[in-house]
Amino acid sequence: VRSQAAFGAFCLAALAALTWPGYAWLGNRIEPRLLGLPFSLFWIVAWIAASFAALCALERARRP
Amino acid sequence: LDGQNPYVLGAIALYLAACLWAGLRPAKDQSASATGFVAGDRALGPLLMYFITGATIFSAFTFMGMPGWAWGRGASSFYILSYGILGFVPFYFLGPRAARVGRHFGFVTQAEMIARRFSCPAIALVLALVTLFAFVPYIVVQMTGAGVLMRLATGGALSEAQGVAIVYGVVAIYVLNSGVLGVGWTNVLQGVLMLVMAWALGLYLPQRLHGGVGEMFAVLAERAPEKLLAPGLTRSGQPWQWSEYSSAVLVSMIGFTCWPHLFMKAFSARDERTLRRSVVLYPTFLIFQVPILLMGFAAIGFEPAPANEADVLPHLLLNLDLPGLVVGAFCAGGLAASMSTGDALAHGGASIAVRDGWVTAFARRVSPERERTLVRWMVAVLLAVAYVLTITWGEGIVEILLMAYGPITQIGPALVACLCWKRATAAGVLTGLLSGTALMLWFSRVPDARPFPMHAGLYGLALNAVLLVLVSLCTRSRNPAADAEFLAIAARADGT
Repeated sequence: VRSQAAFGAFCLAALAALTWPGYAWLGNRIEPRLLGLPFSLFWIVAWIAASFAALCALERARRP
Repeated sequence: LDGQNPYVLGAIALYLAACLWAGLRPAKDQSASATGFVAGDRALGPLLMYFITGATIFSAFTFMGMPGWAWGRGASSFYILSYGILGFVPFYFLGPRAARVGRHFGFVTQAEMIARRFSCPAIALVLALVTLFAFVPYIVVQMTGAGVLMRLATGGALSEAQGVAIVYGVVAIYVLNSGVLGVGWTNVLQGVLMLVMAWALGLYLPQRLHGGVGEMFAVLAERAPEKLLAPGLTRSGQPWQWSEYSSAVLVSMIGFTCWPHLFMKAFSARDERTLRRSVVLYPTFLIFQVPILLMGFAAIGFEPAPANEADVLPHLLLNLDLPGLVVGAFCAGGLAASMSTGDALAHGGASIAVRDGWVTAFARRVSPERERTLVRWMVAVLLAVAYVLTITWGEGIVEILLMAYGPITQIGPALVACLCWKRATAAGVLTGLLSGTALMLWFSRVPDARPFPMHAGLYGLALNAVLLVLVSLCTRSRNPAADAEFLAIAARADGT
């Protein structure tokens, strides 16, 4: 139950970070460019990676 | 790429032959019943589930449309990446619940599950109609993409109508023979091909045109910074609004799980762990939209400029003088994207038309073998109707598709209520669904009527959810004992 609550919090954070206002304030800039990508695109790629990690953690927490 | 390049044709012929082989091989591995043909006897393992969900979601639009979107509208295309991040997450929780009741009651579609929960066959009919209204134009778009690729690949020797006939002839053969296993095993092949081609071309084009991904974005940061910043541009080149961008992300996220051909795969998985894993692994499929965007960004500033968004990628490949094998492999990748979605839509649409629109809605009793025969006929009918629309109607269909997507999203509240809320009633679900859909359609026809510039679907969803709750609380369930039993089964984990 605790892992599901943590995952819920992650989802809310991701939603805020991918739309207005989180994306507009934190992620939406060209510099610094990382992995060759503008920061605005790198930001989204980083959240894809984070969602993968969060889902793996949620699945792992199901095991006793 | 003028005339018929034997390497291009060879690559495509080889790909289509491989699809037939992969699609026909598993025909004997399933029972001669509707459950076998539609849900693979509820025995699909992790590999098939991963590719069925992943490859189905990535359609001809992803391969052909997204680069054009990045080229013309810049960072507004990022919304497609964003909604995928959380879009499949509800399925992690709803999928296993649906699988439990599915196994217990014998469901193979989403609509019959909702109809059974609320003891209301009319819901199945409404959902079947909504689904077909969305699927037919969706298949037409897949066919149109395949036709363009085939005309290109044969240097005009085949017309688009002939090209579609060949490609979707192959689809018809393997879907009719092997049902969901045909869809699944070809999706494995098509998924791998799509992933490889997307990464190869997505890294190659920036390298060839700009000397690398980093160099490309350095140039764009100077020349076209407006294309690298969200919310990007509208189709006419004006700045898009944050409220539109954000609400589009939200609506698409909610709508994602509701797609009937995707949701019904909950009834195909071998066990719950397999089902949850397909959600956990989904981001590894999603990430491949990044190189697809890179192709579109690589085309910015390319001379001669493409005539319109839809042509960006073919235009680049035509003008770059690439080896025939590369062009052939790209065309095969594009066909894979079209076919892996088209086959699931034809198969899912036919299953829904028969099981929901006929058997459930009118309480027909048919034998499993007879039902399978009906589904097969329906696959052929759906493909034929879509084919006729493709060659007669073509372009105008995109307009209809944009409208048709909307009602699918409105299934969301009904799905959650069906699997999680004991107090929900048939009247509440139907009122929410119908009024949400009506409001959404009105606002997308008349955007100026909206009080605030947000996605029409979000207004629909808000009204839908509020009415579902209010009307449910004011009405009584037709069978409270059955509701309680249904939800108890949904909550009973299988321990995997």
